[in-house]
Amino acid sequence: MAKEMFLAGCSAAAHGAKLSRVEVISSYPIRPYTGIMMELSKLVANGELDAEFVHGEGEHAQVSIAYGASAAGARAYTGSSGVGVTYAMECYSPAAGGRLPCQMAIADRALDPPGDFGSEHTDVMSARDQGWIMGWAETPQEVLDNTIMYFRIGEDPGVMLPQFCCQDGYFVSHIPGKVVYPEQSQVDEYLPPFKNPHPLDPTKPVSHGPQIYPDQGPAIDLQRAQAFIDVPKVIRKAVKEYNEIFGRDYSPFLDEYRTDDADFVFFLQGGHARTARYAVNHLRDKGVKAGMVKLRFLRPFPTEEIAETLSKFKAVGTVETSTSYGGAMKGGNLIHEVRAALYDVPKPPAVTSFMAGLGGEVVTLDEFYNMAKVLAQAAKTGKVDQYVYWVNFDKGV
Amino acid sequence: MAKAVETQNLEAVKSIRRVPQEEYYLPGHRTCQGCGPALTYKLVSKAAGPDSIFLGPTGCMYVANTSYLCSPWAYPWMHTQITNAGAVASGIEAAYQVLIRKGKYKGKLPNIVVMGGDGGSIDIGLQAMSGLMYRGHDVLFIMYDNESYANTGIQTSPATPYGANTTFTPPGEAIPEGKVLFPKDAPQLVIGGHPAVHYVATASVAYPVDLINKVRKALNYKGPSFLHIHSPCPKGWMFDAAKTVEVAKLAIETGMWVNYEWEKGEYTYQHTPKEYKPVKEYMKTQQRFAHLTDAHIAKMQAFIDARLKAPGIPVALPVLGPREE
Amino acid sequence: MSKKYCEKFKIPKHLEVPMGAVIPAPVKENRNMITGNWRTERPVIDHEACTLCLNCFLFCPDACWHLDEKEERMVWNADFCKGCLICVNECPADCLTPVNELEFKGGVVRLEKPF
Repeated sequence: MAKEMFLAGCSAAAHGAKLSRVEVISSYPIRPYTGIMMELSKLVANGELDAEFVHGEGEHAQVSIAYGASAAGARAYTGSSGVGVTYAMECYSPAAGGRLPCQMAIADRALDPPGDFGSEHTDVMSARDQGWIMGWAETPQEVLDNTIMYFRIGEDPGVMLPQFCCQDGYFVSHIPGKVVYPEQSQVDEYLPPFKNPHPLDPTKPVSHGPQIYPDQGPAIDLQRAQAFIDVPKVIRKAVKEYNEIFGRDYSPFLDEYRTDDADFVFFLQGGHARTARYAVNHLRDKGVKAGMVKLRFLRPFPTEEIAETLSKFKAVGTVETSTSYGGAMKGGNLIHEVRAALYDVPKPPAVTSFMAGLGGEVVTLDEFYNMAKVLAQAAKTGKVDQYVYWVNFDKGV
Repeated sequence: MAKAVETQNLEAVKSIRRVPQEEYYLPGHRTCQGCGPALTYKLVSKAAGPDSIFLGPTGCMYVANTSYLCSPWAYPWMHTQITNAGAVASGIEAAYQVLIRKGKYKGKLPNIVVMGGDGGSIDIGLQAMSGLMYRGHDVLFIMYDNESYANTGIQTSPATPYGANTTFTPPGEAIPEGKVLFPKDAPQLVIGGHPAVHYVATASVAYPVDLINKVRKALNYKGPSFLHIHSPCPKGWMFDAAKTVEVAKLAIETGMWVNYEWEKGEYTYQHTPKEYKPVKEYMKTQQRFAHLTDAHIAKMQAFIDARLKAPGIPVALPVLGPREE
Repeated sequence: MSKKYCEKFKIPKHLEVPMGAVIPAPVKENRNMITGNWRTERPVIDHEACTLCLNCFLFCPDACWHLDEKEERMVWNADFCKGCLICVNECPADCLTPVNELEFKGGVVRLEKPF
């Protein structure tokens, strides 16, 4: 029987990687993700995990080491936070465009300036268009499970893409929670060994990444776009089988909480969903028809599922936890994608956004209540007064 | 963790006749006529042989070799960013260590060779190169030195010599000498701070057998090694394409280039002339130095004289400041 | 219900690129990049005078000179020689001569003979 443990998100990620039998690990310290590598380095030092542990000289090197290892045919694992994630930016596209699956654990951290090591999703949100699969976990359990699932999805022969396996810094990475720890045999059954179809192997020589004819450029872009249109199928299957083997209850893309007959929902990703659940419970107790929809994959973005699910409600409030300065809605990123997904829906809900959880600030229950007030009003009138509310600074929130 | 991975042992080439006729860097690439780096690539490939993996950071030897979805390499090759060749090579080496250990790859550790230009080795690529050298991966890092960012149109790099006219250091009234700085010393950067490295050498396309044997020696050493190879660029240095080898030879005869080996702390020198010719003999073969006055050339001569006189270490000098006269 | 994003994409054959732009390595020559038509002059060998010193073989950046060990003579690769003439410059026996491409039937691929 699977045992239960009490693990923080960082340890959960490390154990997910260990259970996935990662073969090359590249590290560089930056808080808060560092805990993942501290745990993995122990597992390697103890001989519990047979892997090469490479101390990269920076995040740029970490990602390069990981996709190099993938090109040679090994399962590779790395990770980072905050400015480390943005420092490696150059390397994301070669890994994705080269179709070299490897996994990068992200424990979010606010970018500089000023020095701030609290959680904020802007770090890896900046890399959302580099062609990596990405999504957030809410709990250490989900971190561990996602780690294993992401390898399976990314290494699917029809997918072959690297993955950002994200969790909020501190809120998830450093707060221990109950984790049902899978049996190694279950993981081995679920996740076959990684097989690169064209490894850098002297017995079968190939060239990786030559230059192309300029008019082949759009064709390559199209293939990469196509891969993302095909990924959802693979995700659905991977999540379904995971649920079956490990006895979990994940929905592939959207985790709905108390949305039956809801008038309005909070829409968010990651660890703040835990607080949102408490807020929803309280509001329901008071007779307010509130609910929550948690996004499990930002890339591929589940456009059709969003359109179908969110159009059931009268109002939607995206809780952003990332910034898009000067963007269409003058606030965060999620609202752009949500509104775009709802554009063709006959009766779209009113959609607004809340700038909360920035710079590591906790999104408190109070704040969710204030957001609920705005959303209840929007649900009543069918329209929003503002596209973005800066929580604690704006009227009404 | 103990590394018991079997490695290759490459034999030294005793004479020109023993140089393998087989090619692994094949005809069919878009490098310029008389390209020094292409000649370097050919010789290095012969030396390393087919049981190798080559990495090509962005630079001439990526761009000119892989146009239009084709490549000239008979062994596995991979493009890397100009910044990260050392790191990608580290990942590949680490992967092979674990794959061989786990029995997933049968066979000896392939020769893993980075072919970096001067920019990809000691400028933008320095961090990744140093990281590789420090961590002790079994990789040969080769810096083919054409003394400029040539692929982008001959811009100055830290390997560009003093006085060179490049498209970023054009001589003019205010800056008559063009390039005002003296170059970074690549092999000394590696020797000076990387305890895992046991073999560093310089070589020149003018001495192919020596070059081949240095590549093999470097590959036979377990752990990282570094080769700095003088690879004249007819287009960038502005000389006739037929003169590539002649210019390279003249560099050695004037002391502008010194062939040496550094093995576990010991220096040995190769091809040292009995008497050095004046550097002017070398500089006048190339249009990139055509604008220099006698005073500028004297400054170059002084730099080279001091370098050649430095006891024991080929290069260990304070670099002259930009405006020092 | 929302619309589909698009139909399955169709990429014409000539623009197809393998996944990850990974291509097979060439074996003997890269026939996709013929460079012989760059040449304005070609090195012509006098086999009588050739001492088989192998300088041309060693110094050719394009690997266009090889020793035919059976025939004991040097073989030149017309399809790829760019005509840099390093071999002419480095030949100690003076057995190589540069000759204008226009002198050869089937020479110069690029230009029609003007007269």
